[in-house]
Parts: sequence; structure tokens; C-alpha cells
Amino acid sequence: MSTFISLTVYGLADGAILALAALGFVLVYKATRVINFAQGEFLLVGAYTFYTAFVLLQLPLILASLVGVVVAILLGVLVERFVLRPLIGENAISVIMVTIGLSAVLKAVVQMLFGTAVREQPRILPTGTVGILGATVPVDRFVVIAVAGLVLLAFTRFFRRSRHGIAMRAVADDQQAALTMGISVRRVFALAWVLAGVSALVAGVLLADLSAVEQNIASFGLIVFPVVILGGLDAVPGTIVGGLTIGLLKQYVSGYADPGLAEVVPYLVLIAILMVRPYGIFGETRIERV
Amino acid sequence: MAATATGVHHRTYRAELALRHTKAEYARLLMVAALLVAAPYVLDNYWLGIANAILIAVIGAVGLNILVGFTGQISLGQGGFLAVGAYGSAILSGRAGLPMPVSVLLAVLLTAAVGAFFGLPALRLKGLYLAIATLASQEIIMFVVRRWQWLTDGQGFLEVARLSLFGWRIERETFEVQWYWILVVVAGLSVVAARNLFRTALGRSFMAVRDQDIAAQAMGVDLTRTKVTAFAVSSGFVGLAGALSAHYTETVTWERFTLDVSVLYLAMIIVGGLGSIAGSIYGAIFMMLLPALLTELNDAVKDSLPFLNDQLPAIENAVFGLAIVVFLIVEPRGLDRIWTRMKDYVRFWPFRY
Amino acid sequence: MRHISRSMIVAGLVAVLAGATACGGGSGSGSGGGDSAPIKVGIIADLTGATGDVGKPYNEGMLGYIDWLNAKGGISGRKIEPMSNDYAYKVPAAEELYKKYVADGAVVIQGWGTGDSEALRSKVASDKLPFMSASYAEVLTDPAKSPYNFVVAPTYSDQMRVALNWIAEDAKGKAEVAVFHNDSPFGTAPVADGQKWIAEKGLALGYKAYPMPKTPNFVGLLSQAKSQGAKYIVIQNVSSPAAQVAKDIKAQGLDMRIVCLNWCSDELFIKTAGADNAEGHIMIQPFAPASANKPGHAAIKTYLDSKGIKLEDKGLHYVQGWYTMDVMAKGLEKALAGGGTLTGESIRTALETMAATDTGGVVGTGQVKFSATSHRGSTGSGIYKVTGGTMVELAANRVP
Repeated sequence: MSTFISLTVYGLADGAILALAALGFVLVYKATRVINFAQGEFLLVGAYTFYTAFVLLQLPLILASLVGVVVAILLGVLVERFVLRPLIGENAISVIMVTIGLSAVLKAVVQMLFGTAVREQPRILPTGTVGILGATVPVDRFVVIAVAGLVLLAFTRFFRRSRHGIAMRAVADDQQAALTMGISVRRVFALAWVLAGVSALVAGVLLADLSAVEQNIASFGLIVFPVVILGGLDAVPGTIVGGLTIGLLKQYVSGYADPGLAEVVPYLVLIAILMVRPYGIFGETRIERV
Repeated sequence: MAATATGVHHRTYRAELALRHTKAEYARLLMVAALLVAAPYVLDNYWLGIANAILIAVIGAVGLNILVGFTGQISLGQGGFLAVGAYGSAILSGRAGLPMPVSVLLAVLLTAAVGAFFGLPALRLKGLYLAIATLASQEIIMFVVRRWQWLTDGQGFLEVARLSLFGWRIERETFEVQWYWILVVVAGLSVVAARNLFRTALGRSFMAVRDQDIAAQAMGVDLTRTKVTAFAVSSGFVGLAGALSAHYTETVTWERFTLDVSVLYLAMIIVGGLGSIAGSIYGAIFMMLLPALLTELNDAVKDSLPFLNDQLPAIENAVFGLAIVVFLIVEPRGLDRIWTRMKDYVRFWPFRY
Repeated sequence: MRHISRSMIVAGLVAVLAGATACGGGSGSGSGGGDSAPIKVGIIADLTGATGDVGKPYNEGMLGYIDWLNAKGGISGRKIEPMSNDYAYKVPAAEELYKKYVADGAVVIQGWGTGDSEALRSKVASDKLPFMSASYAEVLTDPAKSPYNFVVAPTYSDQMRVALNWIAEDAKGKAEVAVFHNDSPFGTAPVADGQKWIAEKGLALGYKAYPMPKTPNFVGLLSQAKSQGAKYIVIQNVSSPAAQVAKDIKAQGLDMRIVCLNWCSDELFIKTAGADNAEGHIMIQPFAPASANKPGHAAIKTYLDSKGIKLEDKGLHYVQGWYTMDVMAKGLEKALAGGGTLTGESIRTALETMAATDTGGVVGTGQVKFSATSHRGSTGSGIYKVTGGTMVELAANRVP
């Protein structure tokens, strides 16, 4: 039982971070129809920016977070303006490749500036453990779940209530109609990328705090795909459910079966979902079929 | 000038179907052939090795372009197919003792079959979903290759004996040169075969599926068969490249077939030009030459710019990513289009178009 | 510019193409001949890849030794010219570098990882180029299988045997052992031999191996080890993942002891995990750390002091690289002695027949000796325990 509790908590924490990372991906896809292969590198940049501000520049926590947010916003705006805008209208493969190229550049820049050695960062989340039904679970995992939950809730409110959020949903639904309503589609694109950067920042910082500030953070980017397919590309609640499910699944497989298998299980799930219900649990029936 | 024709007029169907139409095109072809023949006498072993790697990459890139450029199906799974070809040929020639041409041929067929199987999702998916499905297939093949102990007899990697055929061996001293001739012939045949494919009805049906699949279906193109065939043919080429690489490098490790390799091949055809055989060749040359040139540059400026030396792998990645991004922003149709524009400039001068 | 005729453009293109072809014939240069020509050593290093955190000090140690030796006049009056490049632990890049070094006239190669050493094994044998690596896989020490590979330290399997012996002693009877290993040939190298050793010696140890995933999430692994009832975890991986395991063990309050084989047995493990997380864990390390203060450390300390660097900051992998190069230099010296030439075969014979190299107690049993039937330089490892943030020696020169 204690194993189960322990695995569940760890799995939920991982899943929460995955959901955050996937959220950025879904935002960009919904608004701009761009498949962002660089999401993992956004997490990486976010984590390292925060590291620079917090550790290297010794700024207090709030200020360091602000610096991270500013850099994330900048990154989103620059990427949208200089990398994605020239490719509006090009075929899907070109857009995918440009995000892949972007991911290579970002990863290389981080490596050039910081090297590949693991960087130490003082813990932000509370350390210490708590006992639940015989299992010893670290407290920081719960805090991660809480923080991720809060951010996701904030995003949901943003989409439901604020004008910009509704504008984003309008653009995601029908670009032409949104244009005729006077919505600046360019601004919405930029906003989508900015939000992707910010959610990646939060996810990256949490991940770095749980494990370490190192290059492996970027590998989270690939697991986003099974999450997004499972949850459905068209819905924010979907990413939450998808993220938690994949996180739990990976942890259970790792704990009860073969840890190596846990790396590939999300992809097996992805193939299964694509065969059976391609639009995911929450998505709308929109994909084209032959 | 006689070299530039002011209009190409065919009088027979045969003439229209020819691969080259004008004397200028034949002249260029002859120059390329002369370069290829001269290369082993001019280049030293190191550069010849790189040329061999480029030739193998050309075969793979041509195969991928058939699928992505000509049939419009996004695929991120090339690394997996390369692995199938490599392991297949290595095991067939090593354990089953088949001579190399036979094992390579069987490996090609095997990869084509595997490719057709993994192409089945393409029948129901498009765009993003197909890309993600092929990504998943890449990761799954990778996992199988790493964990299936039977493949490598528990050793973790496979060794392939130096190529020897009916008593004729590849010698250590002339290793690169002998392989160069083999690879030039095979690559040349592959390129011609691919070009030929698109003069046939099958090839044109691929392009029809890419452009307007519903209209194609209305004209009688069987979508299922065409897509599966496209996957099979493309995977066959890629499997050939994998099998050759196994025999050339004489080891088969899973590290050669990761997602990074799939991305590299995609980069080759994007930079070279989608939907163009010549583009695949240009792209393969460009992407394979880039790291080699960077290493040379690094050797030259090593002492004056120690930063470059320390960070060489990171810089290689950065240049790779930048090359893709810059090409896509500046000329999305790739090197092939740039070359065509250069030719057109010469041809139409002093007119603009 | 408007009046450039078409023929000029075409002629220009031909000239450019011809020039590009001619340019290709550049870099080949002759091999290490001549009386005072430098001795070229090709070094394949991992500075920024998966094992870069330990690969970098190793490479620095090697280059430091070469610098030190050259300052003393080199080998028989000839300087060593190192050609060192980073391959980031990617086997294809290692093969490219190998071809480049062969083309540039290297007489010996210093490799690094298991993946590339095994992949290059047959090429090295047919090219007749002595190859020393930092991979201690057992297959590389068998001259029948790898005639040109040399390994200065005890193999991973030897270290595993020493580890299992120690565990059997410490547990005083039965115990469960979980082996966490890197998911690669490097990781799996000692696993099977460990199982055989237990059977051979009749040790009452349960034994189960788990490949470690690339992402540092070892919760599942630890819970599996826990359900196995494992009290000892042998880790065959580099320091960073091992340090994460140590942190997780402390975070979950598990009663498990880590026994690190040589690649995670270093100061980096202690630093990354944190002194209190690393406390009490055991290290099997054939190369003595600076804290053990062996006579062999003296020369290194003097050299580094002259550069204003402390050996403690560089770590024991620096020492490892230093002495690996030292053994090779002794082999080169013997090959040149009495007017010999530097060919692959002569260097190999020299390495096999030379007297034991005394490393001042730093490497294994202190003496490194090869022979025609064994390319394994030493079989002994030191056992250390992490106490108060440093490696404290429990036993020296344990052989399986």
C-alpha cells in the first residue's frame, strides 16, 4: 500500500508538471495551428533563466521569478515575430522543421552559456517528508501539484472571463471570423507564444527544483505529445487529465514493471488512442480522415 | 549561345519522357560525372570517408523525399527504418551467412514491409497526428532495438565482418576508395530509380495524393494502396541506406538511429527542397558537410578562438538549427529552388523572367 | 555588372567547382616518423556529453601529464603532440574522430567510453593501433578478442566482484542486492559477471539488475528495489544519477546502502548529492583520491601547484587520466628504446613486455602490468566510505 501511495504522489507531481508543459503546446496549436517541437527547450530556457537570476545574480525569489517571466515573454514575442511569422501559410512540414531547428538552437545556446554539468540550486519548495498510510512522501511533491493546479486554474479563468482569453478562443475557432470581428490575430499569436513561454517557465522551474538544473529538462518536450493526444488537442481540461494520466501511468509502470518500459509506455498509449479515439478524451471530432 | 535553348520542343513522346532535354543539361550531367570519377584520386582518406557517408545519406534522403516531398506524408520515423535495415542486413549476413548483396536485398524488403505496416496509420491520419504517430513508431522501434537481446546476442551492439564477396575482400589500405565505388554505383542507381519512379503512373499517383487526395480518389487513384506503397517504397530506400551503413561502418549500434537522425534526414530534404530528387542530393551534401567543415574551421582557428573549440558540439547543434531556421525563413523551397533561380537568371538574362 | 556575358558566368562556375574539388585534398600528413618529430597521440574525450562531468577532468589529467612530460623533455627527446577532441559520447562522432586521427598520423589512441571502445575494437585491430580506454569492460582485456586494446585498471566485473565480496562480509550472511546500471553497454558490462560470481563463490546474496532511465526519476526503481527487500544498491553509472538516487533514498527514508563502482565513486558524487545525503555510502574506486594521500599523488600535486590549482578541486578522475597516459608513455618509451620505431605492433609488444609501471599506490594494486595473455593492467580496487563529506579509505588494493 505504501508503495502505491508513494508512486501515486510522485506520479501526480510529474503529471502536474507535464500538464503545465502541455498547456503551452496546446495554446500555441489552438491559436496558430503550429506544432511546437521546441516546448521542451522552452522549459529548459525558463529553468536556466530562473537559475541565473536566483543563483548567479542572487536576486530574491520574487524578483527572480519576475525576471524569468520577462524573459519568457520576450522569448515568446521574438519567436513569434522572427521565426514563425515568415512561415505563415507554408506547409505543415516546414513549420514543424522550423520549430525543430529552433529547439536545436535554444538547446545549443543554453549549453554554450552554462555547459552540460549539473547546476546546483537551493531548494525553493519546502523540504521534509510527511507520512501517509505508511508511506514516506516528500512535501515538495504536494506543493508542486498545488502550484501547477493554481496556474492551470488561472489559465482557465483567463480563457473564460478575460477579453484576451476570449479573443484567443475566437481565433482558435475561426481565424477569418475573428479577423472580421476586429480581433488582432497577430496579437493573439504573440499572446499564445508568450503564454506558452510563461507556462513553460513555471514547469521548468518546478522540474529543476525537484531534480536538478540540467540539460535533461528538455526531454520533457517529447512526452508532451502523448499527453496532448490523450487529452485532445482542443481542450485545456484535456491537458490536465492527459498530463496526470500519463504521469501516473509512467510511475506505476516504473514501480511495478520495468522502469525502462516506463519511458516508452506513453507512446504505446498514444498509438492506442490514435487508433481508437484520435481526438482524445476531451477534444472535438475535428481531425480529417481519409 | 547554343548552350541555352530558347524553348524546348519535343517531337516524340519518347523525347518528352527523357531525363535530360537540352545539351546544357547533358553537359552539366557530364561535369558531375567527371567530378564523381575524379574524387577518389583527389581526396584523401578522411574526406573520402565523408563522401561515402554523404552517398549513404543521399540514398536515405531520396527515400524520405519520396514519402514526405512527393506523397505529402510527414514521417519522423526514419531512424527506426534505418535501424531495421541495418540490423536486418547485419544479422542476415552475419548469422545466416548470406552474401552481402543478398542480405542487403532482403533487408530492403524487410524494411519495406515494416514501413508499410507503420504506414497504416497514415490511412486514417493527417498532418500533426501522422507526425506524432510516426514519432511514436520511432520511439517504439528504438526501445525494441535496445531491449531485444536476441538482436545483438546480449552484446549491446553488432559487429559486421569486413565486406568480402566470393573471395574478393575490401582491403584496409583501399577501404575508402573501394567503398566509394560501390556506394557511387548504388547511390547513382537509386537516384535514377527514384527519378524514374516519377515518370511512371505510380509516381504520379503519389504526387496526386499529395496535392489533392480527394480529387485523386475521384480520378481512380486507390488511396490506400498508394499511401501504403509510398511508405513501402520510401522505407525500402531508407532500409538500403541503413544496410549499407551497417556494412560500411562495420558496427551496428542503436545510437546511430535515434530521433536526432530522423530529424537530420528531415532537415536534409527540407534544406534541399521537398519534392525534388536533386534537392535530396543537395540537402544530403549540405547537412553532412556542415559538421565536417565546422571541425576544419575549428582546427584552423583553435588557438585564436578557444571558445569555439570548447563548445564545438554545442556550436554544431546551433549551426544545424540555424541552418534549418534560416533556410526556411529565407527560401522555404530549399537549395533546389536556389539553384533553379540561379539557372533561370542565367537563362533569362537580360530579362527578369 | 550588367554586361557580364553568359559564357563568363558559366566559366566562373566551372572554375569554382574545380577549385572546390582541389581544396579537398588538404589535411593528410605523414605518420610519426623522423628522429625528433613529435609523437602524435589521438585523444577521444567526452567533455560535454552524457559522461562529460567525469570525462572532462580525465581529459585534463591526460593533457596535464603530456604537458608535464614535454616540459621534462618528452619521450627520448621527442615531444608528445596530443590531438584531443570532444565526441560528446556519441559513437558515430567517435568513429569520425578515429578516422581523422588515423589520417593525421596518430600512433596510439586514447579512447573513453564503452560504446565507442567496443565499436572501434575491430577497426583498431585491423588498423593495428594500440587503444587505451577509460572503459573497463572485461572483453577489452582479452587479447584474443581485442588484441590492440589495453585497460589500466581493474575491469567493471572485477570491481563488481570486490563489491559483492564486501557486501557479503558486511551483511554477515544473507542480503538482497539491487544493481542499478546505466542503460547502455557500459552499464550492463558487469551485471552478468556479478551473477556468476555469486554462484561461483556460493555467496548468499539475492541479485537483481535494473536499468536506469535517462530522466532522473528513480522513484519507481527504488520502490522495486524496496519490494525486493534490497539493502544494498550497487550502482554502475556516473556520479549525477547516482547522487540523485542517494537524495531519493534520504528523502524517502529508505534503509539502503549504495555501493558505487568506479564511475560514481568520486568527489562529484559527494558534492552533487550533498554531504549529508552521501553519508555512509560505499565506494569501490581503483584510483586513489587525493584524500588518500598516496606517494603517487606527489608529482601531480607539484605540477598542479605550479599552475596554482589544487588537486582536490580537480578530483580523482584527473589522477586517473594522468596515470593512464603515464602507462602509455612508458610503453612508447620502451618501443623507442634501442632505436626502435613507433609502429602499432612495436608499441603493442612494448606494452605487453615492459616491466610493471609503479604508480605509487594510486592505480589498483599500485603496479600496472600487461602481458601477452592479459591486457588488464591491475585487478585491485580500494574501498572507501563517505564520512563527513570525504572519501575515507576502508581497505586498499582489494582483489576479487
